[in-house]
Amino acid sequence: MTSTTSSADASPPPIFPLHADHLVLNLALIALLLPLACFVLLALVWPLRRAGRLAGWLSATVAVISFGASARLLMLVVGGEAPLTETVGWLVRDGKVIASMGVHIDGISASMLAVVTLVAACVQVYSLGYMAEDSLPAQGRYFTYHSLFITAMGGLVLAPNLLQLFAGWELVGLCSYLLIGFYWAKPSAGQAAVKAFWVTKFADMGLIVGLLALYGATGTFAWDAHLVGIWATAVPALLFMGVMGKSAQVPLHIWLPDAMEGPTPVSALLHAATMVAAGVYLIVRAYPLFELAPSLLLAMTWIGASTALIAAATAIVQDDIKKVLAYSTCSQLGYMIAALGSGQIMGGYFHLTTHAFFKSLLFLGAGAAIHAVHSNDIHDMGGLWKTTRISALLFITGSLALVGVPIFAGFFSKDLILEEMLEAGQYVPVAMLVLGAGLTAFYMTRVIVIAYFGDAAEGAEHAHEAPWTMLLPMGALGLLAVGAGFGGDLLATLWGQQYHFGMTPIGITTSVIGLGGIALGIMRYGTSTWTADLLGGLRGFILSGPVDRFWDSAWRQGLLPFAQVVGWFDRYIVDGLINMVAWLFIFLADRIKRFQTGRAQDYVFAVVLGVVAFIAYGMVGA
Amino acid sequence: MGAWIAFLVIATVLLVGALMVVSARDLVHTVLWLALSLIATAAAYVALHADFLAAAQILLYTGGVVTLMLFAVMLTRRQSGAQVLIDRANGGLRAALLAAALLGLLVTATVRGTPKLVAPTFNVDSTQALGVTFLTRLILPFELLSLLLLAAMVGAIVLARRDGKGVKLARLAPRVVIGQPHDGGEG
Amino acid sequence: MNEIIAAGPGLSAWLILAGVLFSVGVYGVLSRRNLIAILCSVELMANAVNINLVAFSRFHGDTLGQAFALFGIALTVAEVGVGLAIVMLVYRQRQGIDIDDLHDLLG
Repeated sequence: MTSTTSSADASPPPIFPLHADHLVLNLALIALLLPLACFVLLALVWPLRRAGRLAGWLSATVAVISFGASARLLMLVVGGEAPLTETVGWLVRDGKVIASMGVHIDGISASMLAVVTLVAACVQVYSLGYMAEDSLPAQGRYFTYHSLFITAMGGLVLAPNLLQLFAGWELVGLCSYLLIGFYWAKPSAGQAAVKAFWVTKFADMGLIVGLLALYGATGTFAWDAHLVGIWATAVPALLFMGVMGKSAQVPLHIWLPDAMEGPTPVSALLHAATMVAAGVYLIVRAYPLFELAPSLLLAMTWIGASTALIAAATAIVQDDIKKVLAYSTCSQLGYMIAALGSGQIMGGYFHLTTHAFFKSLLFLGAGAAIHAVHSNDIHDMGGLWKTTRISALLFITGSLALVGVPIFAGFFSKDLILEEMLEAGQYVPVAMLVLGAGLTAFYMTRVIVIAYFGDAAEGAEHAHEAPWTMLLPMGALGLLAVGAGFGGDLLATLWGQQYHFGMTPIGITTSVIGLGGIALGIMRYGTSTWTADLLGGLRGFILSGPVDRFWDSAWRQGLLPFAQVVGWFDRYIVDGLINMVAWLFIFLADRIKRFQTGRAQDYVFAVVLGVVAFIAYGMVGA
Repeated sequence: MGAWIAFLVIATVLLVGALMVVSARDLVHTVLWLALSLIATAAAYVALHADFLAAAQILLYTGGVVTLMLFAVMLTRRQSGAQVLIDRANGGLRAALLAAALLGLLVTATVRGTPKLVAPTFNVDSTQALGVTFLTRLILPFELLSLLLLAAMVGAIVLARRDGKGVKLARLAPRVVIGQPHDGGEG
Repeated sequence: MNEIIAAGPGLSAWLILAGVLFSVGVYGVLSRRNLIAILCSVELMANAVNINLVAFSRFHGDTLGQAFALFGIALTVAEVGVGLAIVMLVYRQRQGIDIDDLHDLLG
């Protein structure tokens, strides 16, 4: 006797089980939906939005609550809470769920969510002080976008599949566009916003085609789908194209320096800590897919290492403090991509988290300096050490973390990346990254020496220290920039991996090179009495001696031409390609434009012509 | 036989009127030729047993529309004379070719595709039947039509009002573009 | 031949008449420069459509076609009202109603 197949398997589409006692899920939903509610409220209730200050406090409070929820969530997950996936059916067709949306909570997403909401909360509180001089409606608009960003980024991080991740990806792209163009009255801001939008959208074409190919090949949007044949290489490669745009890898990094047209806290949150790291996060998430394509992983290593080196070299010749930091972000993202390409997801992800803290701290510190002197140019700052000592200290802390001085956060994660890559036998990329670390030390030292210890520029003498709303978040991030490096064990626990820190040769080498870069930077740029005091006779000796001439010529003939070559390449080849595309369209538009006579009757003529063509087609077809 | 003669007379008057509408030099003549065409259309309605429609045609078109048109012609006559009335030299041939192509298609389609229908002989009064149709099947569209006419009336008044808010509202938009050089610069 | 004459003008005769009228209207819209003359030509096109509707109504023996024609007439009247208001506005703005002066669409 044959039994009919049980229909109990075909359960109805699941809905959110909002159990009162389901703490993990509820925390995730609070972190995700509270900012959404805040965004909807601010977007719809325009008197509240235009009130500015109130909207800002509301949005910042929501961000802090959101961080609280995700911190508690992270603690639960650290405490051994099992991974959880809750979804609802989405895009149901013929009773078949094409895709689902919901939350997926595990060690990766919980820690990323905590990082995102922490930086977002810090940045929003900071913005309360930083944006105070803007008009009230503008402030309201600013915080409305910020609330949307937290939801979008949260949706990206907690996505249970690649389709929802893509949706969040595009939403954060939209936030980025809106916030880069925040000062829309400034033509350069509008152009930068459009440039960022186009470049990332160009890259996203790869992402969406990759997703469609993934769905076509496997019928799911899952990141652990089983791909075979050509798809195993094509799909990850297409996804990586999107990553290159979002995470600013050469040659698609060109939008990021321009994105600095936005308010500085935006640069800290979106264009340093979280949004640009979404590409890295995508690779971490979808690593089962990427693993299927070894040749792509190799390419990733090289692209990442090249980005790290080229961007670091470019950062040396920038005078705009935010552009230095932007190129630095490109460079650090290059480290992460290179690590992921060598199969070291733990190292790459660790660097993502530490970088989120210290780079947002650096941007907030730069923002404090900009706030103090109302200029982005480091030469307009000068001597800020005397007037804004707290934010100067915090900026230097962030720099030390970025450079990778031992005990600071960047040291541990960078060391982990290099160590693991060395074990994987990637010698040339490792050499490039070590050289990049030296350049990093050099350009950060240059910024600090000129901006904080150089001769006080006009206006910089009367600089004021930032208000507490700005210093408090910076202080919080400063603590993390120092201490986050010790979180490696925690992260390893979350990932179920082993992590033991040990002082290895590569770590020592990198530290030495980093310190050398700092020393070189001080020697090259340190002209004030402070450095003279510090280095005393040593500096005098070096200045008079052949060493200085050697370094000077090395700098003049080696590094500077190299940076110029890179700059030339960036300006004429990379930008040139983009400009050529733009020029092509301008040319075509110029030709097509001639059809548009502007005379109403010509348009009517075209309409009638179309009607005649339709009728003729219908009659031929009939 | 009689029906054919009526058709041919109506068609001749209608088409001559129409051709004069599109070719008359003087604007007043244009409108008057239009009135003739509209009356011929009303005659066509009679020939098609649509008496009420014919009456509505005469009242609305010939009475209303043509009068309105004449007023408009008078009000905009300051710039009258040859300049206004000369048709665009290069547009005429192009328009004629396109209209001829359209005509060819329409006639071909008609000859090819028209079903052979024989008109039923009406015993009922078509006006009464029309009235019943309007108040039963088409009652909602019929009422909506009054709304449309009201909206059109309000719109026309707002647009054409010379004083007060209407003019301000209407002037807002064009002021931006008037007097701008039309050099086809980058837009 | 005699049968056709005896039967009177059929549906296709009216349709062809309407087609010719419509084409003449299209020619007018495309070739006249004066806005009022263009409106007159649009009226011709609308009338051609109405003749079509009435002819179908007659040969199908259904008053619905007449009803639609009446709707058409009402719509055309509304259109003329608004159209002439726009003409007056254009005239007031630029002291002329030549359609070639209306080329602001040119970027």
